[in-house]
Amino acid sequence: MTHSIAIVGAGPAGCYTAQAMRKTLKDAEITVIDRLPVPYGLVRYGVAADHQGTKGITRQFARVFERQDVALLGNVELGRDLQLDDLRGMMDAVVLATGLYADRPLGVPGDDLKGVYGSGTVTRFWNAHPDDADLAPELGKKVVVVGNGNVAMDIVRILGKGEGDFDGSDIDLEQIKHEVSEIHVVGRSDLGSAKFDIAMVKELAGLDNLGCSIAPGDQFEDTPISQAVNEVVAGSDAQAPIQVVFHSGWSCDHVEGADGQVAALHLKRTGGDDTKVLECDSIVSAIGFGSSGNVDRDSFAQSPTLIENGFIEDGLFATGWLRRGPNGTIPANRADALEVAATVTQWLEGREPGSGEGRAGLLAATKNTATNYDDWLAIDAHETQTAPDNRTRKKLRHMSDMMDIINNARG
Amino acid sequence: MKISILFGTESGNAEMLCDDLKDELDAEHNVEIASFADVTPDDLDVDTYHILVTSTHGNGDLPAAAAEFVDAVEEQEPNLAGVTFSVFGLGDMVFEETFNQGSETLMNAILARNATLIGERGMHDASTGEMPEDIAIPWLQECLSKLLDEAA
Repeated sequence: MTHSIAIVGAGPAGCYTAQAMRKTLKDAEITVIDRLPVPYGLVRYGVAADHQGTKGITRQFARVFERQDVALLGNVELGRDLQLDDLRGMMDAVVLATGLYADRPLGVPGDDLKGVYGSGTVTRFWNAHPDDADLAPELGKKVVVVGNGNVAMDIVRILGKGEGDFDGSDIDLEQIKHEVSEIHVVGRSDLGSAKFDIAMVKELAGLDNLGCSIAPGDQFEDTPISQAVNEVVAGSDAQAPIQVVFHSGWSCDHVEGADGQVAALHLKRTGGDDTKVLECDSIVSAIGFGSSGNVDRDSFAQSPTLIENGFIEDGLFATGWLRRGPNGTIPANRADALEVAATVTQWLEGREPGSGEGRAGLLAATKNTATNYDDWLAIDAHETQTAPDNRTRKKLRHMSDMMDIINNARG
Repeated sequence: MKISILFGTESGNAEMLCDDLKDELDAEHNVEIASFADVTPDDLDVDTYHILVTSTHGNGDLPAAAAEFVDAVEEQEPNLAGVTFSVFGLGDMVFEETFNQGSETLMNAILARNATLIGERGMHDASTGEMPEDIAIPWLQECLSKLLDEAA
């Protein structure tokens, strides 16, 4: 008998954990489940469509499923198809890797007005995630992006690119049509301590459509980040069709509405009394993520060992963003996965495999809906074969289309 | 021939490429593979041909373990005369300004200690969609034939 392990979530955190556990637990039966029939989570639906090189890590994960005897079970959702307790009963260990899906709201009056969008929702729409396939955000001409991290930078860059700038991506131009001509990027803290990767700031310099400036009167510390922004500003074209203005050190006070629709964002100097009003047609908040759905981080966030090594309680572990919170890029989840895999391995050592049925039980319990890795390969082949010119793939946006392709391929 | 493949990685891509290079070499050579985290400059020796593979991370930086290795080389200033090595870098031209700076930093640090570079630094650009191994394996074969020329 060998140990049975389920990893919940086939995003980078889950796949890296499967990869790491395969090395430390050579004989264990490892199954990765995901609520979608398509794996890779944020790599497919969060990493920007024009960063295909970053998406190259999926080749590692494909190898885990293709050569390293790890099974993928798609279209299985905890709470919908299967309860966590049932899964735990089948497995010796369950590792939660469901990430943090929900956009953190602005948390100010008016943040529920029409025209206020979460960055996760918008990027899911752009990236063809079934959950938000039909969102079609109405951004208007003036958009305020709240947040000073890489997600905010992704939004600015995608909006700022011209048609030809998307060659080699998997974006569907129809889905990102917009008439934005003014983007305000608002950071609560000093621009000098913004969380942008410098490389991503520099990327803006290469876009002909985009001109950048800093809001008049805003002072900030001289750091590598603010220097990078200054460099982009210095080389910017003030006549470019889309103008980006960086605002340093402003907190949201409230959203002003007119007829239920966003009209302006009212700002207050962080730690001061000055105010500023940004008239706008829409607001995209990119200020972080929290858990939602059937895996609630708050329910186990108090576990003292969660941050230390991923242990929640006997037989239950967490990895990736769900474990540490919404910080760090994809490679940080690899480091995380190595630690959590070591924790699980150590915990299983000296424990006899339990009486749970393992993967066989899971397959039996989900046999009417579950999809597998070959089903994903059928979708992958369809998406790459139907890719238009200058695109790597044409993503299926709806679950029903995915299931049609799967059923056709199964014959 | 004794070959040591060393990788510096943050995302795991460089490690996977090294697995492929090892598969390519295993039939004819005695190949070991290790992370920069698990070696010191003293492990570079004249009886072994070293293949160093690294990505570029952040703002043109080396992955943490490779950066520590370079720091150790610069601090300890070992004499690496007679040590043979080749360098392959993973990069992404989306981040043009810092493209493959990591592999350049690594190569220069070891060159500065009088080691012998075999072949030119190989480079992969992830934005092309080409597979790293499709670039690295022909590069490696060229390096190997240059190494044999040099020995003869």
